[in-house]
Amino acid sequence: MSFFGKFKPGSTPSQSAGAAQAAKKDPNAPVPTHLEKHLVDVLGPIRPDGSDKFFGFENYGSTCYCNSIIQCLYYSAPFRENVLNFPSKPFLDALAEETANLPPNGRPKPMGRSPSTTPYPNMNSPARKQTQPTSPGGAKPEESKDAPDARKKLALAAGPVLDMVNGDSYKYGMDESLFTSLKDIFEAIIGHQSRIGVVSPHKFLEILRRDNEMFRSAMHQDAHEFLNLLLNQVVDNVELFSKQHPDVMIPQGNGGAPEKGLAAAMSSAVAGAHPVSANGLDTHWVHDLFEGLLTSETRCLTCENTSQRDEAFLDLSVDLAAHTSVTSCLRKFSEEEMLCERNKFHCDNCGGLQEAEKRMKIKRLPRILALHLKRFKYTEDLQRLQKLFHRVVYPFHLRLFNTTEDAEDSDRLYELYAVVVHIGGGPYHGHYVSIIKTQDRGWLLFDDELVEPVDKSYVLNFFGGEPIPGLQDAKQLACAYVLFYQETTLEAVLKEQETEGGLHPVASRVSDAETFNGGLSPTKPDLRQTQTVTTPILERMEFMDPVAHAETAPDNAALPVRPPFTTAQPTAPMSPVLPGKSKKELKAEEKQRKVAEKERLKGEEAKRREASARRVEAWKKQDEELKRVMEESKMTAAEETKKRGNEGSAVSEKVGGGGAGGALGRFRHGSMSLRGKPKLFGKDRDVSGSGNGNGEKLPAIPQRQATVSGVHEGVARERERNGDPAVEEKKVKNRFSLGRKKSQGLT
Amino acid sequence: MNGHLELHDHAEDGPEGNLQERCCNVLPPPPRYPNGNLYTGMPGGGPLLETNNTLEHPTGPEYQLVVGEGTYVLRDDLHLATPPPHPSDAPQPNNNPLATNMGLPTVGTKLSSATITPRKPPSHGLFRIATAQSARSNIPPSIQEEAQSPRSDAGSITNGFGSASYYNHTPTFGDSNDALRPAPAKGNKKDQRAKPKNNIVKSNSSFVSRVIPHEALQKRLAERSLDGLMMFANVNRALVWLDLTSETKTENLTKVLFTKAHALCHDINEITKSSTHLDMILGFNTSDIIWYEPISQKYARLNKNGMINSSPVSSIHWLPNKENLFLAAHMDGSLVVYDKEKEDAEFIPEEASPTENGHENGTPKNKFRIKKSVQSKIQKTNPVAAYSVSNMKINDVAFSPDGQLLAVVCDDGCLTIIDFLHEHVRDIYRAYYGGMLCVTWSPDGRYVLTGGQDDLVSIWSLVDQALVARCVGHHSWVTDIKFDPWRCDERNYRFGSVGEDGRLLLWDFSVGILGRPKAMSMSVRNRASVTSHHVPASNRKESHSTMMGRLRSNSDRAPGSADANGDGVDGEPQAEMVHAVDSMRSTAVLPPVMSKIVDEHPLSWLGFAEHCIITACKDGHVREWDRPKEGAEETVEERRTSKSLSPTGL
Repeated sequence: MSFFGKFKPGSTPSQSAGAAQAAKKDPNAPVPTHLEKHLVDVLGPIRPDGSDKFFGFENYGSTCYCNSIIQCLYYSAPFRENVLNFPSKPFLDALAEETANLPPNGRPKPMGRSPSTTPYPNMNSPARKQTQPTSPGGAKPEESKDAPDARKKLALAAGPVLDMVNGDSYKYGMDESLFTSLKDIFEAIIGHQSRIGVVSPHKFLEILRRDNEMFRSAMHQDAHEFLNLLLNQVVDNVELFSKQHPDVMIPQGNGGAPEKGLAAAMSSAVAGAHPVSANGLDTHWVHDLFEGLLTSETRCLTCENTSQRDEAFLDLSVDLAAHTSVTSCLRKFSEEEMLCERNKFHCDNCGGLQEAEKRMKIKRLPRILALHLKRFKYTEDLQRLQKLFHRVVYPFHLRLFNTTEDAEDSDRLYELYAVVVHIGGGPYHGHYVSIIKTQDRGWLLFDDELVEPVDKSYVLNFFGGEPIPGLQDAKQLACAYVLFYQETTLEAVLKEQETEGGLHPVASRVSDAETFNGGLSPTKPDLRQTQTVTTPILERMEFMDPVAHAETAPDNAALPVRPPFTTAQPTAPMSPVLPGKSKKELKAEEKQRKVAEKERLKGEEAKRREASARRVEAWKKQDEELKRVMEESKMTAAEETKKRGNEGSAVSEKVGGGGAGGALGRFRHGSMSLRGKPKLFGKDRDVSGSGNGNGEKLPAIPQRQATVSGVHEGVARERERNGDPAVEEKKVKNRFSLGRKKSQGLT
Repeated sequence: MNGHLELHDHAEDGPEGNLQERCCNVLPPPPRYPNGNLYTGMPGGGPLLETNNTLEHPTGPEYQLVVGEGTYVLRDDLHLATPPPHPSDAPQPNNNPLATNMGLPTVGTKLSSATITPRKPPSHGLFRIATAQSARSNIPPSIQEEAQSPRSDAGSITNGFGSASYYNHTPTFGDSNDALRPAPAKGNKKDQRAKPKNNIVKSNSSFVSRVIPHEALQKRLAERSLDGLMMFANVNRALVWLDLTSETKTENLTKVLFTKAHALCHDINEITKSSTHLDMILGFNTSDIIWYEPISQKYARLNKNGMINSSPVSSIHWLPNKENLFLAAHMDGSLVVYDKEKEDAEFIPEEASPTENGHENGTPKNKFRIKKSVQSKIQKTNPVAAYSVSNMKINDVAFSPDGQLLAVVCDDGCLTIIDFLHEHVRDIYRAYYGGMLCVTWSPDGRYVLTGGQDDLVSIWSLVDQALVARCVGHHSWVTDIKFDPWRCDERNYRFGSVGEDGRLLLWDFSVGILGRPKAMSMSVRNRASVTSHHVPASNRKESHSTMMGRLRSNSDRAPGSADANGDGVDGEPQAEMVHAVDSMRSTAVLPPVMSKIVDEHPLSWLGFAEHCIITACKDGHVREWDRPKEGAEETVEERRTSKSLSPTGL
């Protein structure tokens, strides 16, 4: 208990403005968390842009993939601004007028009351679990106090907790979607007067699971896959919306995303009025931020003819090799590749499958480079995905070497701003956290409910490296999985370096930690061990039941009842609901109903989505030819989806609860065939027997102008299958995460 | 044998002297120093054993480096045993993959070499001695090997005075400060060199855990050839002293185990070394510095408990031609000059430091600051001088061959060229991106090489004040670079680099090649954040006016500007100080002549010796790659048959 004694509650920093802390010497009074201490010197009003809000996210059981990614997106300033400002104010004002004049049935009803897949209150949430008294041989009380699980629980108990139960989509004039619920979360965080707290992303998960079967299970999911899905859905949602409101839209070219500087985007966002569209509907902001353009150049070795094709990407998936750097991985990504044997290239010039050389280079650099390290590789021997622990170093700054000759600003400087870390021995279980650079509070570790300040050097802790057998260090299981680099300038870097304090923070932190733990436990030989953040022990990681990421924040005796929603709540834009016992009972009933209704809803939703998607495409392309292609491809997709669904479940059975593997196949379910990510067309996949039958299928399909490497470019392949050269020439806006070569991640 | 016991007072002495063999797959070699205290720990846990170094001779094509001049063959793979943790510092199982406690920094094995009587370095004629460019930095006739020349006959090596008189035309650090004059009484006669005070073997310091001298240390020392190569290597918490030319090279001459601290860097004073005396300094991750004399087994501890600077020491070097002074680069971005014989005193930056006065006016913080000038008259205690170069970690420093200039590379991605004698910054160059990790000078002092987190080796020309080429070929960060003086001549340079990728790369460049990029970059247009160096000066001034202003102000008042060089430290400085980053497209790219994975672990050190290339990795492998035999006539001198190795280039 000296742990508590060390810090007088009176010194507790403001965790919710206005609410005075009990200054009594109560041993159970909240102890300042590391985050609170970190923020103790924050003065001045909370900024309206949300850059100084630090909210954890409640884990609904293996939803860390979602939490870690949302945090990364939130702390991308331009992304956050854009989410907040879509639809823009002028539009919303107009909409408010419009709806006032409209008959009630003029607009689809908000779907806010649909049955829930994520029970609320979420009693399964690890951090909310009631604790059994610890078993005899259990952890010492001192330990559990400082154990990450306990601190997660404390964070949740301390609140304020923003329960995102209902959506505000109707306020935005939009149908409920992942985008609106993401916006809800952002708005709630920013609208709340506390700087810190916990978000309970109930609604978001509900929609995610409603619309995406693969995320429905409580299994471990792939964070990168989720990122890609989320970005694609945000694009879909935003575009769909603008199509639904063509009257307020000024049509924009589909082609290239308008080039804007960061400053322009920021200022416009702040001003709340967009320069592009008078009605304030710019639907290209996701593209502007994340989209880059790859050019793949294929040289037929028979006729020496070179063909080029551009492909857009939202993130890059790079293969890993041991003892390399991300720079090297990117170089390798763009290295020449031979297309031969089963991967032969259909040359238009000589007509037929030919051997060819192919390389992919970046033609347009994205403003935010999301770099996916393919740590999950399919191994033929084991017939399943395996985690690669290769040591891959990543610097704080980056430039790209693999750009085309004509790329603009090819020396663009990037800075690392977020790292998603995967912890665990394999792809089917484990935990995700993110480490994110904030505007002026340094680097923070976001581990579900827990937000912790970390030293800058901590960021470079996750290079990976083959675990040393016998070495009992769980750090070996934590490797960077997705790296977010954002564009910056040398001037900005210099400015930052001037203010950066080198090692100083370390020193202060260490002393800080020592004070904090001082006298904590004489029985504990290494105090440093207590200054820790998280998660399960090594053994547990290895054999963890995928469902039970819950274990990360387990049993703690005194689950403090969530404090009543105090004065903090009123300003929050969502309606806080108090967890009540009656509610719990209601839930049970609702669950029953839910299952049935879910099916129905799903069907409706799918139909609606399909219809609108078709409409959108029609409007967008204005091209009959193309439209036909799309329809065809959709049909193909449908077949494939069916096929994949089967395979997927087979796979998941095979690997024993391998949700990720099985889920892969269902990824594009209900979405347009040209959307989504390139699928698993790799050779490895074929060998596994679950590779969409690609191996057999491919030769039969007339390929034209294809530059297929037999890799991830599922879309390319589909287009080729449709045999429409127009597609290639058109530079259609497909949005994929592009990966290549043989190793198959969870892409 | 009493040296085999843990001298530090701790609970159990046993584990370190453990006999029991218990390892994963490969049986460790039998412990060489059993003390009868058998450890019978529980299975699966318990401390690891202290093992011996092992020597292997793997053969096959994967252990050969094929270059134009012939094939380098791996002769010896000496694996230095990693000592088990000190009993008081036993590793705790860490269950937390996200533990935020950051241990002290560690590094891979680095070597410091000492050859008591080196053979003559490669023909002096190979180097330009007085080109127009080198004249201004006053390069002494023998480049980098300066210390050897006056002593190349074994008779005169014991006394540093020979070299002092040889160098009396070359200004050295602190010359003009009377307070720094060495006390005349100090035994400059014969081998009466000052030794550190404490006996390291008998020490009861909690800092030193134990010392294991070889049983026949004196005999081995007496019998060894004076031109043989001795090496000091850090492995984890140990420092081992090796005789690489010995038949029994696996047997340490001495092994020093520190309790917790790891030595991150070390250096041997070239001008005081003799067969009876070696001045060695070690910088630790605990910020401590140790002055160690291995032959008499004496040591002294400086910067104790971080009294002067509390951050780890990342690089440490004796000042050129100084017997007492050395420079430590601390990880907080400080450079501190210590005198090995002076006591520590609490260091308060001297207010009189002119840098801090008058030039602050509103401009952002100046990175280079003089915290204590060498001109300070208060020189009773350490530090002798102190500077702040950056607020980020300094990774490496290197003195120019003439000892006048100092190149410093930092995590902030800057290469800072400091006129060390006059305490001002001459140039700042920036990496393409990421931090810079290592730096070295060409033997003639014209070029500086840096390697870093951009996977590149960059060649900087001091004469042209420009980046001349980027060397592309590493697959990960570059951790060490060295020139191969045996393969450099007037126009052609050979250097090598090693990296985190476990690769050794060899590169050749010639003056002719280096001429081109200048013309290329001249025609390059400006880019948003990346500008060519060769834009008109007026443009550059605008874009970097703030930076330049404050940096120039530094040089304006460089103390002792009545210097021999007279290269415009007052008034208008010679040229631009802060150089913009060159675009990749405008820069010449140099490919390697050889690239090979030479170790399965990330490499941490590289050295060129007369007969071999030496690499060292994070795991403690020291590998010697014999130079091509058929190319023997290419090496400069082949008179002797012994494997005599000069420290040059190491």
